Amino acid sequence: MADETQKESQPEQPQAPEPRPHEPRPQDQPRSAEGAPVAAPAAPRSAESRPPEGGRPRGEGRGGEGRGPREGGGGGAGREGGKRGRRGFYRKKKVCRFCVDRVDYIDYKKPEQLMTFIQERGKIMPRRITGTCSRHQRWLAEAIKRARNIALMPFGGAR
Amino acid sequence: MDERLYDMIFICRPATPEEEIDKLLATLEHTIEERAGKVEKKEKWGARKMAYRVHRHREGYYVLLVLRATQGDMVHELERRLKVSDIVIKYMTVRLDEDMKRQKRLAQRREKKASRRPRAGGRSHGHGGGEQPAAPSQAQAQAQQ
Repeated sequence: MADETQKESQPEQPQAPEPRPHEPRPQDQPRSAEGAPVAAPAAPRSAESRPPEGGRPRGEGRGGEGRGPREGGGGGAGREGGKRGRRGFYRKKKVCRFCVDRVDYIDYKKPEQLMTFIQERGKIMPRRITGTCSRHQRWLAEAIKRARNIALMPFGGAR
Repeated sequence: MDERLYDMIFICRPATPEEEIDKLLATLEHTIEERAGKVEKKEKWGARKMAYRVHRHREGYYVLLVLRATQGDMVHELERRLKVSDIVIKYMTVRLDEDMKRQKRLAQRREKKASRRPRAGGRSHGHGGGEQPAAPSQAQAQAQQ
């Protein structure tokens, strides 16, 4: 954790000078913590002050896998950057493959296509992994279940 | 009753001679005719590997029928026939018309959107930067010229 906070504070510094000119007294940093909206100078604190801010970034980081909100919280600035991860890891924004191809109907009779959306043991891939949108995930699940019914796709592992 | 569209897939034992399957298909078609249905498509996929074993068979002879039905009991009768048939090891009927309706609706909507796009494209272009007021004025200027 200690490492993380250090890392955190570094990228913060370029931002820090910004609020300072507005404030007449740069030395009373402890007091500036009261001015919570500015928040930037108090880097270690920002971890605590996140929850109230959390709402917005969480909505943004739609790919969220557990860590999502945290990363999103780091990127108040992430709004413009998109994939500028403060801690140095990137997450490509996932796009629904069916939306890209403009699919209106997912055919259960084409198991080759559906096979990419099941796991090794035959489970349907969760959409947090594949990035499928909710509508297409619904159709996809239905198609897979139909295909299973008529032995085009496996219920469990492929034997 | 309005028309309904169905997918009817059945799997025969892999060792069944072709004639038997044709005979079964003929009886099915006869039933369909009797009940004022229509065969939209008839596809024999042939023997293919099944994803799991059915009645100890690893392979099956797949046949697909796409049907249009007006009478409610047609599917019922067809399924009964498949059930009693010895050569059929698995069958499934899926009602399709709802999905197709949805598909058509979505396609239409997209088409409409596409036809509207010339304007929408211009707007989205202006959205990117602060040139939003500038872009329309340019367009107007061009139009005036």
